[in-house]
Amino acid sequence: MSQPADRLSTDETTHGGCPVVHLDFSESKEAGCYWAQAAELREAAPAYYNDFGSGYWIFTRHDAVRDIYKTPELFSSESITPWEPEPAYRFIPTQIDPPEHVKYRKILNPWFSPKAVEEAEPRMRELCRGLVAEIAPRGECEFIGDLALLYPTAVFLSFVGVPVSEADRFVAFVDDFFAGFSGDPEKLPAMAAALQGIRDYWEAGLAERREDPAPRDADLASYLMHATFEDRLLTDTEVLDMLQVLVLAGLDTTRGQLGYMFRHLADHPEHRQRLIAEPELIPNAVEEALRYYTIIFGDGRKVTSDTEFYGVPLKKGEMVYGLVSGANRDPRHYERADEYLIDRERIHHMGFANGPHRCLGAHLARKEMQVVVSEWLTQIPDFEVATTEPLVERGGGAMMSMAALPLRWEA
Amino acid sequence: MKLRVDGDVCTGHGRCYTVAPDLLTYDDEGFVSIRDQTIELAADQIKAAEDAAASCPEEAISLIEDD
Repeated sequence: MSQPADRLSTDETTHGGCPVVHLDFSESKEAGCYWAQAAELREAAPAYYNDFGSGYWIFTRHDAVRDIYKTPELFSSESITPWEPEPAYRFIPTQIDPPEHVKYRKILNPWFSPKAVEEAEPRMRELCRGLVAEIAPRGECEFIGDLALLYPTAVFLSFVGVPVSEADRFVAFVDDFFAGFSGDPEKLPAMAAALQGIRDYWEAGLAERREDPAPRDADLASYLMHATFEDRLLTDTEVLDMLQVLVLAGLDTTRGQLGYMFRHLADHPEHRQRLIAEPELIPNAVEEALRYYTIIFGDGRKVTSDTEFYGVPLKKGEMVYGLVSGANRDPRHYERADEYLIDRERIHHMGFANGPHRCLGAHLARKEMQVVVSEWLTQIPDFEVATTEPLVERGGGAMMSMAALPLRWEA
Repeated sequence: MKLRVDGDVCTGHGRCYTVAPDLLTYDDEGFVSIRDQTIELAADQIKAAEDAAASCPEEAISLIEDD
């Protein structure tokens, strides 16, 4: 990591009119600490300068975070990690700016559309029902390892046409990648190895499909190899840059969201009972979990030109970090912002980002969460957290995710 | 009253057609099917339209009062 920029002397307490902080978002903490920290930062000031790494601006409130997302011409996705302004990877479409971005999204959108997800729902339910049926007679489980990671992995791999027997290999890649993603320098070598591992896997996959005259059915890699971008085929590099990020985004995020949602349900019998009595409320309960328990601590962008944004002077090339987890609970925008309301009306949030980079997998992620809640509550209506030890979450810089969630119930 | 979706602003979150399924639906990419269109609302569709507009994370839906 480089040192703070030289214009910042060590005794300076404000920069550009903002308080200067030194915060490392890669550390594991007790589960829930990162939302508490986001709330503290948001209520104390609208913007900060964090001199961690090479230094970056933090915007804490709803409207500023929304406007960062919705102004891609000023806030480029070239880097989305403010502690790493020059990343070694280039994810497509994640790190592509308009106008090219939408052309890649057009290729991928139908694959992850609500229509595609609805068609997959019966087999998604069947798979989940089977996994829960194996767990239910045990009377206990470690929810993250036994279901929250396994289920989205199996669904995602089947969605893109990879044998589910490859799940263990991909889970290891994902764990190593996100260990380094939050800016912990000691874990960068493992992150780089995971990125290379995913790339090697898909390079072999492309080679195997090279001679196919037409795209294989239900096989995303094959579909991409035959897809056109502005009247030309995608290059291998483009296809690999797409497949790499899809694996990372598709496996880890839903694990994180499911963990927090099930800790909530374990701690709130009244909400379990409500969802059992009114299963039609499950999509709403999931949407509110995505707002309230947003795993996206923040999202980074790179400033494309000198400007003033919400009163803060920004220079071209500097990094900003929109504190999504603070924004989604901002009382300036939401009524009863700091409460989980299972029947909240008109829910909207930035848990799937905002603007052109809205999460490609949003429709699939929601459906996975709805299916797990519904199938679990059918077979295991009553359960509780099976430890009095503090639960631990991964640092928010890589998106929060509980390391483990032991649950128990009467079998 | 009319409902209008700004196609430059809609990014396909899908909240509108989820909260107002009798009024709105999706296209093959997951966007609301009436991007850049204005539709007339019957009296019994106004509550659904208001719910859809208020649930849009992009504020892409506007409701227009009749003259």
